[in-house]
Amino acid sequence: MPNIDRRSFLTLVGAGGVGAGAGFMLSESRKHPVEHLVPYPVPPEEFSPGIATWYNSVCSMCSAGCGISVRTREGRAKKIEGNPAHPVSQGRLCALGQSGLQALYNPDRITGPLVRAGRRGELEFDPATWEESLAELANQLELMRTAGRGGGVALLTGGVRGHLASLLELFMSWLGSDQLLHYDFNHPATLYAANERFFGESELPYYDIENSRYVLSFGADFIGHWLSPVHHGLGFGRSRQARDGIRARFVQIEPRMSLTGAAADEWIAANPGTEGILALGIARRIVDQGGYQGADLDAWRAALDGYAAESVAEQTGVAADTVARLADSFAETQPGLAIGGGATGNHSNGVDALVAVNALNHLVGNIGVEGGVIFNPPPAFGPTASRQAGLSRMLELAEDARAGRIEMLIVSNTNPVFNLPEAAGFAEALADIPQIVSLSTFLDETTAQADLVLPSHTYLESWGDDAPSPGVGFRVGAVSQPVVEPLYDTRATGDIVLELAHRMGLDLAFPWPNMEEYLKYSWREVWSSGTPDPAIPDFDTFWTSVVRAGVWGDETRAPGGEFAPDAGVVDGIGVGAPEFAGAEGEFPYALHPYLSNGLHDGRGANLPWMQELPDALTGVVYGSWIELNPVTAEELGLSEGDVVAIESPAGSIEAPVLVYPAIMPGVVAMPIGQGHEQYGRYAHEHGVNPIDVLAAQTEPGTGALAWAATRVRLVPTGGRVDLVKVGGDSRELGREIVQIADAGTPAAAGAPTVASATDAGAAVGIDVPAVGAEAAMANTRLNSIPITVVNT
Amino acid sequence: MSLIDDFLARWHEYRRPGYYEEFDYHWTMTVDLDRCTGCEACVTACQAENNTPIVGEDAIARGRHMQWMRVERYWEGEYPDVKLRAIPMFCQHCDAAPCETVCPVSATYHNQDGLNAQIYNRCIGTRSCAVYCPYEVRYFNYNNHHWDEPLDQQLNPDVSVREKGVMEKCTFCIQRIRQAKDAAKDDGRRRVQDGEVQPACVQTCPTEALVFGDRKDPDSAVSLMLGNERAYTVLEELNTDPSVVYLKKVDADAA
Repeated sequence: MPNIDRRSFLTLVGAGGVGAGAGFMLSESRKHPVEHLVPYPVPPEEFSPGIATWYNSVCSMCSAGCGISVRTREGRAKKIEGNPAHPVSQGRLCALGQSGLQALYNPDRITGPLVRAGRRGELEFDPATWEESLAELANQLELMRTAGRGGGVALLTGGVRGHLASLLELFMSWLGSDQLLHYDFNHPATLYAANERFFGESELPYYDIENSRYVLSFGADFIGHWLSPVHHGLGFGRSRQARDGIRARFVQIEPRMSLTGAAADEWIAANPGTEGILALGIARRIVDQGGYQGADLDAWRAALDGYAAESVAEQTGVAADTVARLADSFAETQPGLAIGGGATGNHSNGVDALVAVNALNHLVGNIGVEGGVIFNPPPAFGPTASRQAGLSRMLELAEDARAGRIEMLIVSNTNPVFNLPEAAGFAEALADIPQIVSLSTFLDETTAQADLVLPSHTYLESWGDDAPSPGVGFRVGAVSQPVVEPLYDTRATGDIVLELAHRMGLDLAFPWPNMEEYLKYSWREVWSSGTPDPAIPDFDTFWTSVVRAGVWGDETRAPGGEFAPDAGVVDGIGVGAPEFAGAEGEFPYALHPYLSNGLHDGRGANLPWMQELPDALTGVVYGSWIELNPVTAEELGLSEGDVVAIESPAGSIEAPVLVYPAIMPGVVAMPIGQGHEQYGRYAHEHGVNPIDVLAAQTEPGTGALAWAATRVRLVPTGGRVDLVKVGGDSRELGREIVQIADAGTPAAAGAPTVASATDAGAAVGIDVPAVGAEAAMANTRLNSIPITVVNT
Repeated sequence: MSLIDDFLARWHEYRRPGYYEEFDYHWTMTVDLDRCTGCEACVTACQAENNTPIVGEDAIARGRHMQWMRVERYWEGEYPDVKLRAIPMFCQHCDAAPCETVCPVSATYHNQDGLNAQIYNRCIGTRSCAVYCPYEVRYFNYNNHHWDEPLDQQLNPDVSVREKGVMEKCTFCIQRIRQAKDAAKDDGRRRVQDGEVQPACVQTCPTEALVFGDRKDPDSAVSLMLGNERAYTVLEELNTDPSVVYLKKVDADAA
């Protein structure tokens, strides 16, 4: 045994101890960090661990304005469902609406104010504080305002409605600027114009699909994404199988089968852009057969003179006997409904075509009747004049920018750099604007060009309200409330505007401390416009009830009554041949871009659920593709996965081929939504954007982008990719998986209706679920009001 | 007793679902294909409710997508007389389920409510059940999935997040059924009433094509639907006795 003295012994023991300690520390550091349970003896008012709290609000994922109920647990949003009391959604919700959670909890949200550090578009930003950013911005705005240069401020937002739109109007009028524009790729500007011309009011009517027996749709994918897909879906289901012995027939006219076309009983392909001509061919047949007996019959005869069956058949590619059959069954089956939209409205003859569709409704007496077209009352609140900008208005803005008339552009939750054709030159025009401020939630392509980013809350963190458009035939208003506390250092758009106004010294014009107070102030007027109810003695009770119920309004629909168009309108009816950008010889194929129900106009591309949602008709996920008729594909020697260049007069992109059985030969269809250069990790570098190759073609009357009016040619690149798809064989191969009953089956129509909790007749208005109403107190921090605390 | 009667009696004995004398509830779903548009709202509803993962493009390319609810599409005919037939497909909760008999560790079994249930922490990942399932509605976790922060804050705390090596599938939202049962019990009632529980897909369906309820209650909405002449089950010839009943799509132009 070695001789160890006491000192050496202690040294060795000490070293061993340190070593053991170090080893212990090392192994500990490689374990997962210890999680501590934090006691929660005094939770916020409506937090009960393990018990969900539901809040009613309004969906903002598209422009339909569905009422939603959001389930939260311990202060986190878990699930979005439709609000059963809201007449638009009636408890239901689409895929995109439910993905709002992934906008809220998106890892690529902007977490606080940013100022540009590098050159524009290089994405070099430094973090900033709200205090400094707002102070400086307000100072700039106030200097411009007092110097009379307020007109140099342009405010560009997405489709904003309700009192936020009113607030923006007020703010811009105080600045002295009329450059307040809403830009929404999918805004049906031509439909508004057609309704203005034919009905005399620039509003969207209510299409009463639920009570209709025959729906003839020209290009409107109303079940997929058009206007109000959830509400249309409800109508579709009920018109099919909720009435005893009655089953509505759906006919869809479009060059490429959409989701609505697939659900319809009959899908008819007409040459792109000739749908309006087909509508007038049908109208002519109805008049010829004596189906119309109005006083102005002679005017109609004269207007429809050029639309004899043979010439219509020749132009549209739809056989003359089909035109006659459609006309006869449409006139015969009452009540019926003709709907026009989508690509039909976005050709060079879009407004004329949609007027022709409106005319069909008039000829068979479907206007102002149940099961037909019912006029909506004016929106319950919000500005009446539309600020929606078409392509030509956006080009004017770009022109103003080039001429140095725009000193500052404020962009709020719209993405024109992605959603306008490259040929429009909007992105280049941004370079001529000295300052660009973005109020966007995400770093999209437009925000990437900003000098200052003041990130806004998502709709699930903000106060707001909405009067849905199209309405449902009666007045509806809904309040949107925060359902969770803000995740990041962001602010609601309304609060940013109010804060700027206060800092500009405009306190007298903007006396409200925040958006919530502004809403309360504005809703006093809404309260006094309603019928007095002894159960609602004061405004506070009213407000609590409305916020809790998530909706306010009338309950019954007054179909309206007699309608007759002005004489001049009838004389002016006529649809010309569509004009395309690109000569047919050089560019043989018509490009048919379409919105998908998941990615919408591209806004859904940063939501992983939507990226992984198989395309409803092809099953493709993540990518872009072009659809070709099997015959066209064979002629070109192309098969699935072959990459081709899609060349238009305006540009070129590359995408793989998908052979699609339900598209006209001579048409190339392509989904919109992919091809983002920015917009976060999920959107980035998937597919291509067909808007890039669209020519800057407009519908001349409205100046709206005619996004279906570009011709292309296809050049094989020799490349091949595997399209990533979900699903097996595209044919049933005799397995009888989807079985078909014929219409003669006695029980086919009039299946028993289901009375569910979300039944159609659910109360609209301020009736509040009684359970626990007293117990449900306002959240002390958010002032949000839960529906009721329920154990679900 | 004749030989045939004897055989039938034994056959019924053998075929008795899950060896229960009687189910407590018999949860059943009907899918009206004449209402269904294939819009896939149900797909996202299911994904949000049940914490099914985001698997990524590469995994889907390898056939490893995880959505418990999917919409199958079948084309019929050629242009221009072409039709698309869409059908939502998910676990059929067969009362004579092939997947149950094959599991070597009894991780999948029939419960007293007629549900085909999966015990995640018993599953050893042989994937036999997925092979035996004629509807191909069982999904295997080939990887541990993760949610980029803070997407994980959305995860439903009532549903466990599954790990690598475990089979999973539609549960008819069993967590919602449990809660409805608990609520009924707390109310002093013995049974859940019709309409008190809806799986996420049924709840959200914009066309009201899906109906869910207890088949044992003769007045329930789902029982009424079962009486419809259009009712059929998919791959009926396999005798799996599914708890999902489809109502035939109507072809207005068929003779």
